[in-house]
Amino acid sequence: MIPYQKFTLDNGLEVLVHEDHTTKMAVLNLLYKVGSRNENPGKTGLAHYFEHLMFGGSKHVPVFDAALEKVGGECNAFTNTDITNYYISLPAVNLETAFWLESDRMLHLNLSPKTIETQRKVVIEEFKQRYLNQPYGNAFHLVRDLAFDTHPYQWPTIGRDIDDIENYQSQDVEEFYFTHYRPDNAVMVVAGDVTLEQVKHLSKKWFGDIPSGNMPKKSIPKELPQISKKSKTVMEEVPTDALYKVYHVPGRLESGYLEADLITDILGFGRSSFLEHRLVKNSDLFATVSGYVLGNVDPGLMVFTGKMEKGRTAEEAEKLLDETIAEFIDQPIPEPVLQKVKNQAEAMKTYETVQLLNRAMSLAYYAHLGNPDLYQTEYVKKTAISGERISEAAKAFLREENATVLYYKSNT
Amino acid sequence: MPDRSKAPEFQIPDHIDLIQPRKWTLKNGIPLYYIQTDTIEAVKLEVIFQTPLKKIPEGKGLVPFFTLHMLLEGTHNLPSEELDNFFDHYASEVEFISSFEQHGLSLLCTAKHFKDVLPVFRSLFTEAVFPKKELDTRKAQKKLSIALQLDKNPARANQLIRKALFGSDHPFGFIAREEDVDEVSVEDLKTFYQDNFLNRPELFLTGPLGDDQVTEIMKAFEDLPNLAAPIHLLDYQFNPNEKITETRAKSVQSTIRIGQHLISKKHPDHHGLMVFNTILGGYFGSRLIRNIREDKGHTYGIYSSIGSLNPTDYWLVMADVQKGFAEEVIEEVYKEIDRLKSEAVSHDELETVRNYMIGHFLSSFSSPFDLISRFKSIHQHGLDYSFYEEQLQYIRKFTPEDVLRIGQQYFKENFIEVVVG
Repeated sequence: MIPYQKFTLDNGLEVLVHEDHTTKMAVLNLLYKVGSRNENPGKTGLAHYFEHLMFGGSKHVPVFDAALEKVGGECNAFTNTDITNYYISLPAVNLETAFWLESDRMLHLNLSPKTIETQRKVVIEEFKQRYLNQPYGNAFHLVRDLAFDTHPYQWPTIGRDIDDIENYQSQDVEEFYFTHYRPDNAVMVVAGDVTLEQVKHLSKKWFGDIPSGNMPKKSIPKELPQISKKSKTVMEEVPTDALYKVYHVPGRLESGYLEADLITDILGFGRSSFLEHRLVKNSDLFATVSGYVLGNVDPGLMVFTGKMEKGRTAEEAEKLLDETIAEFIDQPIPEPVLQKVKNQAEAMKTYETVQLLNRAMSLAYYAHLGNPDLYQTEYVKKTAISGERISEAAKAFLREENATVLYYKSNT
Repeated sequence: MPDRSKAPEFQIPDHIDLIQPRKWTLKNGIPLYYIQTDTIEAVKLEVIFQTPLKKIPEGKGLVPFFTLHMLLEGTHNLPSEELDNFFDHYASEVEFISSFEQHGLSLLCTAKHFKDVLPVFRSLFTEAVFPKKELDTRKAQKKLSIALQLDKNPARANQLIRKALFGSDHPFGFIAREEDVDEVSVEDLKTFYQDNFLNRPELFLTGPLGDDQVTEIMKAFEDLPNLAAPIHLLDYQFNPNEKITETRAKSVQSTIRIGQHLISKKHPDHHGLMVFNTILGGYFGSRLIRNIREDKGHTYGIYSSIGSLNPTDYWLVMADVQKGFAEEVIEEVYKEIDRLKSEAVSHDELETVRNYMIGHFLSSFSSPFDLISRFKSIHQHGLDYSFYEEQLQYIRKFTPEDVLRIGQQYFKENFIEVVVG
């Protein structure tokens, strides 16, 4: 449980307050309900690029970071497929500065040509640094592109390619801002050494007069169920082969998602996981392996990936992975294994909430999903799921027709 | 309607609590430092040893690494698989601690399971058996990771600058090769574990534990051998001014490292260097970020930092830049250093960096697990909390002249440069 209080401004801005008077710090976390799933082909990566523009100054704040640093604060942000999340951490006595800064860039961001062009270059360098200049760095570009036919999850948040980033026009940027960066499309969490009354007062004062959005969000194309296995082989200069095998799974709040999450907890989480034990420790095929779900709002992917030992192939590795998964599906899940993943779910909540910032982010994330209480209720639901239901779900998801495979092969 | 043209009033925190650990001493002389944090339900226990820094015998450079990373691969009582099941069952995380000068293990556990987990965690320090099968698996993984390091420009550049700063004979400058993996045997690990591993242990604890629970921990560790091998301070072999370039035609970026040795953390100018480094490249508002990223767009990120070692600190600039612009960026870094040596920092910038650093300081003493880290980083250099008090005083008081002097005294043109890509 993360305690919170909540109110909503007339313009639709949802505000959550989490008081923690053991610290002298405060966090203002502002989540906009927009990510790369709201983008269009040809203009992919816009949500993330826009996050960079948000630091380019606003009408009354020429340099965003400097204005915050001057009061002892720090900030950062991230974008993913579903959300864009901004956070400020500062001495609680200076909380009002965070309100001033965030409200000014929500109300009238400076979209200067200099910022637009420089950040375009910076994002292109980020693209190269993270995805091109790294062994296996483009693997998820290839996997997503193959796994999804229509849904925007077919490109990663950084964007499909550098051409798209070069393509944004200032009109795209403005339209994006006025569609998505509105108070009724955001959740704000204020946490730390703050009080509800103080946050109410400051929220009304700084955000109260920002108009709600009046540009409709476009609907997001739905992905149809996959009917046959898809695969692709690439040859690259990497030290060893790597295998990426993914399966379609339900969205974050849909029935079956928590079962999918539990499947990968059992198969892929920790040193004692089924896959680590079978594929890494007791075979000479896999050097590493991992399994996880992406956790997207819309139907997403369950991912299994590993790097092979030298001289072993991704095709051989897939065969062993398939056999191991088949065995998992066929056998009942032992009680101690279930108990283990439940203990882990419980402990994760303890570890995650040590940091004030994490508590603020979790509240914002679950509020965006629909209700901050989901943080707790989802956990209760997850830990009540039986072994039989997990096995049934595994049978339903882990089918070849539902799979997409990338063989990322070493040509050296 | 608020007047948005006026920034809200602000205050600079005047008092910052430097929360210190309590010290306990075990029967065998091992110290335990404890910070009690009743608001969190997690316990973190770190057991840290001083790495005996010796010249590396040919081919044996990876023995300390494998000794540490094999501790979870089986003990006299529990084979590898059962150890994994045990720790995962209690959702506890055992992590390897491995820096230039220290090694050890850290345990993160829920408070309610701590008592169950403690004895098995304790056994890792004296009961490990280093089975051959598990070693072979870890060796294959290490080979892959060595190959990947070579392929990644930033990792490769880190290796090269460390080698240039410390020399390839020194453990800090050592670059592991796949051949070195083959040289490691079970016997090597057992010998190292027996003779060198448990050197000058210290315990660092954070959590919501009462005195009786702390006493339990002390009991668990009071029979741990407390080796006290002398710590050698090996000399570094390095060439100031060394320029290393590794060209990679297919790279789409160039990785840059610029570095030099500085002074010890105990030196009174340390605080001044920290301020100088922050202005130059230590925060988002730094000169390097403003120039190379926010003005020219040559990089996603460029930072400078100070690394602390017992004999001396070292200083590094790090960036991955647009291909074809490495030379230009290095020139710009030198220009920014020269500006800081010749032009006084403006009042406005001074105020920003001063306040930023005070806020950052407060923040770094705010989260439970950070408190013990703050303690470790002074304690491991033989310093006490007066270091932080002086640092905070310095941040509140430094002048533009101080910045000029530090630049002139410590940033003379004999930097080591590495470019990969």
